[in-house]
Amino acid sequence: MTVPIELIYRYPWLPSLKEFFSDIASKPPSEFISTIFSETFSEEIQERLFEIFKAAFDNLENVSYYKLDKVNVYLYLLLKILMVVLDNKIITNKIANLYSKINYNDLIKENDYNIYSICEDLKLDILYSDPMEYGVNILKDQRELLKTSFRIYYTDYLKLISNLHDEYRKLVNNALSNGYVFIQKRSLIRLIQEYIRNKFEVKEDKASLESLKKELLNLQEFKELYENILSQWELKKEVFEYSFDISFKEGADISNTFPPCINEILSKSQEGQNLIHIERLFLVFFLHALNYPVDKIIDIFSTMPDFARDKTAYQVNFAKKKGYTPHKCTTLKSLNLCMAAKYKDKICLEGYYSKKQDAQKKIKHPLFYVQLKQFRASRKENHPNNNLKNNNERK
Amino acid sequence: MSENKLLKKLFQAYYRENKSKIPIVDLLEHREFGFIPWDKQIMIRHMAFKNVELLKKYLADNGSRHVYSSGTLYLQPDNLNMNNKQYQGCDLVIDIDVDHFETPCKTNHDYWYCVECGKSGKGMMNKCPKCGKRKLRNLNWICDICLDIAKRDIISLIYDFLFPDFGIDEKDLKIAFSGHRGYHLKVENKKMRGLSSGDRREIVDYITGSNISLEILGLKNLSLNLSLLRDNIGWSKKIILKIEEVLKNYSNDIIIKLFKGKQFGLSNDTIEFILNNKQNFLEILWNIEGFGPKKWETFLYGIIKEIGIRIDDPVSIDIHRLIRYPGSLHGKTGFKVQELSIKELDTFNPLDESNKNLDPIVFQSDIMQKIEILEPKVPATKIKGQTYGPFSQGEIIEVPHHIAVFLLCRGVAKTA
Ligand code: SF4
Ligand SMILES: [Zn+2]
Ligand SMILES: [Zn+2]
Repeated sequence: MTVPIELIYRYPWLPSLKEFFSDIASKPPSEFISTIFSETFSEEIQERLFEIFKAAFDNLENVSYYKLDKVNVYLYLLLKILMVVLDNKIITNKIANLYSKINYNDLIKENDYNIYSICEDLKLDILYSDPMEYGVNILKDQRELLKTSFRIYYTDYLKLISNLHDEYRKLVNNALSNGYVFIQKRSLIRLIQEYIRNKFEVKEDKASLESLKKELLNLQEFKELYENILSQWELKKEVFEYSFDISFKEGADISNTFPPCINEILSKSQEGQNLIHIERLFLVFFLHALNYPVDKIIDIFSTMPDFARDKTAYQVNFAKKKGYTPHKCTTLKSLNLCMAAKYKDKICLEGYYSKKQDAQKKIKHPLFYVQLKQFRASRKENHPNNNLKNNNERK
Repeated sequence: MSENKLLKKLFQAYYRENKSKIPIVDLLEHREFGFIPWDKQIMIRHMAFKNVELLKKYLADNGSRHVYSSGTLYLQPDNLNMNNKQYQGCDLVIDIDVDHFETPCKTNHDYWYCVECGKSGKGMMNKCPKCGKRKLRNLNWICDICLDIAKRDIISLIYDFLFPDFGIDEKDLKIAFSGHRGYHLKVENKKMRGLSSGDRREIVDYITGSNISLEILGLKNLSLNLSLLRDNIGWSKKIILKIEEVLKNYSNDIIIKLFKGKQFGLSNDTIEFILNNKQNFLEILWNIEGFGPKKWETFLYGIIKEIGIRIDDPVSIDIHRLIRYPGSLHGKTGFKVQELSIKELDTFNPLDESNKNLDPIVFQSDIMQKIEILEPKVPATKIKGQTYGPFSQGEIIEVPHHIAVFLLCRGVAKTA
């Protein structure tokens, strides 16, 4: 059984693509690329492509120009080839996040039956039935009957949630009966989004990757396209890297005083990897404690696969109002968030010498790490540089 | 060492004469085998057999002390490099062994001795109470009460979790008595084999009740009638039903014992409060005056532990583990690792089994044998309805062959 072709136009990542577009799906990449550039829609497809890259580089959650037609199929295939050739983890994550989000927004509008067909096409073991009750949800004094038409086999469920670490998705916190997990349509679509995201993962080995790259870059039009994207990226990259630099003290960069536990989370987010709840909380509390501007904190989260600006803004502001302090080292260690060993960080591993107490002391709090580093930096400034300054002044 | 030679001979003879009793595991040729021999304290790994006949021959030739095969399937199971074995998938393996949890009778039959300070005592201990070191030598004994508890756990695992929740097909289940203090269970099906270690962690959490969120399950800050959650599918229903079972069906004496135990760790006052307000506890959650949120949580997590199955987590999560081969002999007891169908499990009694085909005590014989006890204290052993011991160091005893084999295997005696 295959899905209707309209669904393929909308969702070209569906396995049935091969049935409908057997002519292009079986072509070697270079031939496929040549075809694209000789088609009448060649301009059109490039326009759409740039739209996507621009949005991805700007960490937007949607694109203004996106059509669910036949060209969309070519667009998807071209995107995938580009990911292989670009071979850049950060770009891939950004594109995968954006593309899967766009699809999520379309999937949400589909009727139940189409969602079911899509799952079937993905070879997911799904039961679709009249809505079934599986419990009550009690919030305050309200009770709400939990009902759904969808159940998913637990092995498929587990595979799809493997990168999503939310507590409410854990199997133990879900309704499981006879091998099937009761799942709300929205959650199911979120899992499909995850499937789409993973579709962009580059799996080719280095050698075949290089030869493919060489082959494709021989095509003049493709080369231009590729270089265009790369230069856009170079431009944007700087903005990304700067967006982390703490500038709460007008111009002073203190990001190099961050402890390993924070740096790890920041680099994860920079790569567009999902952060688990506790990592997000810790990061927000930490940055708030340093008075980091709220909109910049939100920007950091904009690379997340499930980023929604309103929601994040609300949560970040809420945390600010509450004034929570970030977790201390022992807590972070027990949560496996301490990265002292991974980064072989001397201060974290060995502590520091306290003159006052004449003893080697351990770092107990990541905020203290920042203080210590700032203190050390200021001392450095005070020694050699100070002399210079003084000399200059005397002159 | 001469004891080991003797035992090796016995094992070789057993494997020679009982070839037909060695079962074939599914896809045997894709599994890695491991053996512990009698003469060295090593594991011979990365072995593979094209068919079961070759395995039988190996066993008859070597009479290995312990025999293991992987739950994992590889294209090249005998490749020495893990990365080159070409992983194809892994069965779900579940191990329930009383070594890993408290049973009421352990104070009668388990001894520990601190290598560091010399203190010794009875029961389950992993840290010396005197010097705090973890260098304990344990002498853990078999006992039918312990084995019965393990059996009840495995039955509950099957009937309360694997069948109703996971919908596991009976034909995919392989159950075995481990030959010592527990049971193994394997789920052999294609979909299960494809799961990663992380996915298995989720299954383990479900079976043990770890990482449950009371809030998500609707068990928090709830002032409504408890019975509302009775029809919820999943853990919330299990919890409600358990509360009802405990408070309605258990006698006060048993409740007190349960609530005082490690799983609940409730204070006397709290227990008294619950017993005096049983009816309230059967009707509502959280909103009971005099019973704060902290107490509720302790109570509910105790209930969860009471429901969860005490499995050895790492065994199920690890996708490269070796487990005892069914039909092989356990080198610490001389008992057979006995495969069982669910029906057989029901009436199975490892230390006194009447069905000859299922009897793990394969060396049973009335022939008496003289041995000398080496260990300071050896707990009583009840096998085939007869109790032998306790014994103490230096004693020379005459016991039936299978008891002698057992004590020699345990390394607490030598031939006299
Ligand atoms: S020692 Fe503390 S500051 Fe350093 S990485 Fe660990 S948790 Fe962070
Ligand atoms: Zn001690
Ligand atoms: Zn016992």
